[in-house]
Amino acid sequence: MVERVDLSIIALVLIGIIVASGTMYYAATTLSNVSTTSDNLITLTDGVTELTGSVADLATITSILAQTVNTSVAEIADLKARLAELEATLAVRETLIVGTTDSVELTLDPAQAYDYFGWNMLQQISGTLVSVKPGSATGSDFVGDLAESWNASADLKTWDFTLRQGITFPGGVAFTATDVKYSFDRAIALILNIPEGAPAGLGYGDIFDTTEVLSTYKVRFHLKISFSPFLGILSARSSAIVDQRYAPIAQINYTAGNPRASTPVAFVGPYTLVRWDRVAGRDNEIKLDANPNYWNLASGYPRLKHIVFRFYRDAATLRLAIEAGDVDMAFRHISPTDVLDLENNLNLRVWWGTGAQIQYLCFQTKRAPFDNSIIRMAVAAALNRTAVSETVFLGLAKPLYSIVPPSMLGHTEAFQTLGDANYALTQSLLAPLGYNTGNKLTFDLWYEDSGHYPSSADQALLYKEALEASGVISVNLLHADWASYKSNRDDEIMDAFIYGWYPDYVDPDDYAFLYWASWLHTNYSNATQVSLYDQARATDNATLRTELYAQIDDMAVEQCSVVPLWVSGAWAVTKPTVYGIYLDITQDMRYWLISK
Amino acid sequence: MGLRTYVITRILLTIPTLLLLLSMVFVIMRVLPGDPVALHFEKKADPAQMDAMRRILGLDKPLWEQYVDYLLGLVDVNYFVAHGYPNLGKSMQTFEEVGGQIFSAFPATLELALYSMAIASVIGILLGVASSKAYNSILDHLIRGFGTVSYAIPVFFLGIIFQLIFGVYLGWLPTGLRINPRVDPPATITGLYTIDSLLGGNPYKFLESLKALLLPSLTLGIILSGVFVRLTRSNMLETLRLDFVTAARARGLKEGTVTYGYALRNAFLPVLTMMGLQFALLLGGAILTESTFSWPGLGSYIVQRINFRDYTAIQGAVIVFGLFVTLVSLIVDILYAYVDPRIRL
Repeated sequence: MVERVDLSIIALVLIGIIVASGTMYYAATTLSNVSTTSDNLITLTDGVTELTGSVADLATITSILAQTVNTSVAEIADLKARLAELEATLAVRETLIVGTTDSVELTLDPAQAYDYFGWNMLQQISGTLVSVKPGSATGSDFVGDLAESWNASADLKTWDFTLRQGITFPGGVAFTATDVKYSFDRAIALILNIPEGAPAGLGYGDIFDTTEVLSTYKVRFHLKISFSPFLGILSARSSAIVDQRYAPIAQINYTAGNPRASTPVAFVGPYTLVRWDRVAGRDNEIKLDANPNYWNLASGYPRLKHIVFRFYRDAATLRLAIEAGDVDMAFRHISPTDVLDLENNLNLRVWWGTGAQIQYLCFQTKRAPFDNSIIRMAVAAALNRTAVSETVFLGLAKPLYSIVPPSMLGHTEAFQTLGDANYALTQSLLAPLGYNTGNKLTFDLWYEDSGHYPSSADQALLYKEALEASGVISVNLLHADWASYKSNRDDEIMDAFIYGWYPDYVDPDDYAFLYWASWLHTNYSNATQVSLYDQARATDNATLRTELYAQIDDMAVEQCSVVPLWVSGAWAVTKPTVYGIYLDITQDMRYWLISK
Repeated sequence: MGLRTYVITRILLTIPTLLLLLSMVFVIMRVLPGDPVALHFEKKADPAQMDAMRRILGLDKPLWEQYVDYLLGLVDVNYFVAHGYPNLGKSMQTFEEVGGQIFSAFPATLELALYSMAIASVIGILLGVASSKAYNSILDHLIRGFGTVSYAIPVFFLGIIFQLIFGVYLGWLPTGLRINPRVDPPATITGLYTIDSLLGGNPYKFLESLKALLLPSLTLGIILSGVFVRLTRSNMLETLRLDFVTAARARGLKEGTVTYGYALRNAFLPVLTMMGLQFALLLGGAILTESTFSWPGLGSYIVQRINFRDYTAIQGAVIVFGLFVTLVSLIVDILYAYVDPRIRL
């Protein structure tokens, strides 16, 4: 029995030991696990703490990033605004606002346009084979425009031109000799339909015979006459090259709202026409943009990207506009008084140049008293050009003593032999004819009074004063508006009248004929003078031409059918930042040379 | 006679009136010296060229045929539908459609007329009423002086003064044109720049248009206000003495109601007539104002065309102006009936 108890106790002890060991093991394991968990917890807590720190860091970083982004966005916006400002400044710098009182008279078709401003616009948007070198003193320095080189036959009746290659019309069509032939054939064909056009006025029908295409880039003109001023004709805007797609052999009238369709010229000039708005038969706005296909782009022309023309009704308003800074440039017409005044304005710059517009006195030679050249000469001697020049034009027009303006080939001072206000000569010439203080020579002197010519009334009054100061002349001053004035001229009812001339091309050939021009209806003709004129046309010897025109002038002094009075000056007013203006004898304003 | 019959009769009467006007202009222009054909030729005018131009201008036909052609053109409905204006022929100088020329300038003229008339009416009527209320006082004398001076001062002189002060010296406003020369005009919808700017959602251009409009309309408005000041004052003085004004005051009505609600309404008829006449004249173009501010309206159109002996242009302009005057007179008559109920009786 004891053994069984002992055994049981042993068993129980063993079981106890086993249980205790198990328990201890369990407890140890659990403790170990707890410890591990605790460690893990600590680690986790640390991790959480770290994570919290990281989140905080992240928030800080995000905040910093956001601030950085915000700053960057603000900087970008600021940069954008500055860029816009710069672009606007650049646009302002690249845009020239021109104020003028001019307007295109009829069209921008070279077969019809025959007015200063129309020609000036054509010069910007189209091209001619040759042009006068900017700044030329004589107007006879030609440079290639669409042509690269040229030569004339010895008899000056055949002219060959080699065209510049690589010129393209908008759309990529190449400019070739065919376009040249088409342009001149069209201009001549339209003379019958457009009798008022420049080709008719310049006598294309009498000069051009045929135009021949020699090759893709070579063209030949066959002329009807030997004609040395041919380059002058070719540089005129009536000789602008047209784009066949827009220039059928039928007149194209002005088309409102569509600049491309409003002119048949090829846009091969420095600018293209992008807006042309007219109101009540006058220009309201013209905008030109730089031509991306211009052949001389590589040389930096045109200097400015945009030219905008604004049209003012009179000289006084134009003056105020340039003075107020509304426009960058005022060209045609600021009055002489205003331009001299503006010269003292430090915020403006006045550009001076040579003029080519002239005025002259015409006599009706078919009846008394001016059917006698001695009487005409007596009147011519009593004129006082200096007084008119200094009083009316404040010195901005110059007295003219030859029908050919100064600096041009063939200019002389022939009429100086009669003098100015030379009353002794006047009296001595009239005395043998019975005119004296008791029996004065009396005649009507007419002038135009509707603004076609500048300060006509003031001029006429001074001429009258000067003539009557001779003591032997009495003048009835009469006037008419331009329409009536021209009718009076054609009806030959005016004894003596003042007239003006503006050249089509800068050459004495376009002036000398005025002495006997049939359309002046003076009824004066002189075969010798005409013969000298034709000889001058037929030679390119400058010395000989000068001599021939001098002879024509000398005879004109003896005959006094037409008496030169004055030649205009030229001026433009700009802001001081505007550069590149050439006011040479051509009177052309070459906008592609202007920068600001 | 009912109002409708009256209006229809007035409209029908415009036809013989305009026909008479047109016939007179047609004859007078052709009697004047100066040949529109010769004006096309600065240099050469040989007979063949002259004849060719005469044919182009339609002047080779007998006078009666030219007249009939012109009248037939005027009633050409197809042309009217296609162009939106009557066939007034082509300009003998520029070869453009006369109707197109006239109506291209009309929005500028209308805009200037509207703003000027608004300024003139506000200044003229308010000062006229104030002057009558302050009869024989210093204020009355000052306002009368203003009325006389503003009526007498030449428009170009006042215009130049404004241009010099606000354009040149202060640089606040452009000296001329319809919008600042550096700003592109708004896209054309009505042709009125201020309206088109707003319709196009461009407040900047609206502001620039308004700035350009301010000087010419203020100049013209001040000049015109002189007439309204004097007319309003004299009529108000008469009306304020009438019994119904005394009765209104006796009823205890406020002075403002008596002045503006009773007296001014009765004194307004002659002023309204004058406003109508002035507005009709302005629609024909304010020549000097437009010239001073280079405003591209109808002002100098007729003068230019007369210098060119542009027969068709002058005929067209006279017809259109005649229409304006008739139309405005008609509107004034209708407004009369509205303002004065006795006329509707």
